[in-house]
Amino acid sequence: MSYKIETKDNTKIVHLDGEIDMEVADKARQTILPLIEAGHDVDLNLSKVTYMDSSGISVLIESKKLSEEKKTNFELKNVSEPVEKVLAMARKFL
Amino acid sequence: MSSATLENHSEKKAFLVKSSSLKEVRTFCRDVFEKLKIEQSLKDELVLAIAEAAQNIVKHAYKDNQDSNDIMVVKISCEDNKLQIAFYDMGTPVDPKKVKHREIDNIKPGGLGTFFIQEIMDAVEFKDGKRKPWINHLVLTKQL
Repeated sequence: MSYKIETKDNTKIVHLDGEIDMEVADKARQTILPLIEAGHDVDLNLSKVTYMDSSGISVLIESKKLSEEKKTNFELKNVSEPVEKVLAMARKFL
Repeated sequence: MSSATLENHSEKKAFLVKSSSLKEVRTFCRDVFEKLKIEQSLKDELVLAIAEAAQNIVKHAYKDNQDSNDIMVVKISCEDNKLQIAFYDMGTPVDPKKVKHREIDNIKPGGLGTFFIQEIMDAVEFKDGKRKPWINHLVLTKQL
């Protein structure tokens, strides 16, 4: 997994790329959560994520919960088809 | 469920019980499902279910033994359009009664992997009876 962060006003746009599984979930977590912790809104661009498992979904859940605590916005943008399918299953659970 | 009849096929592979092996597990599964000519959407779901089961071995059966160099084996068999995926590992014995996903109103992360497996597969079974050297023997099945 690789990532790129852009800044637009108070919003950090995080672009993730590749497969997000247990092996790299911590890297994704450590990329996103500090931005929210610092009070930024975060747009997470998932257009180039080709695979995401439950570890990746957990990072999204943690990010959303933290943003609610910090009263910031956390949004998913350009969700790729493979990720959308996993999210659809996860939504039944959530 | 697919209306096409798939060829009978069986393949297995051993992997180190490490999170770094999960990508190899997915590659192995994709290769086998390619040979079986399983359509892309179902293939993606099956790969996710298998990867989650393998992840559970790394996360739970080897929770207290992260530096182990043990292997786990994944065996994929297709017979008469019934897909069977078996997992063998030598980790801490799994108590099937404790394997469950989180409650529906509990939005804490975790437990999702087991939920995905149950959503995707027709049956999830922990086999009784030990086949040395294996401790745990999980079998996932799906009618194709």
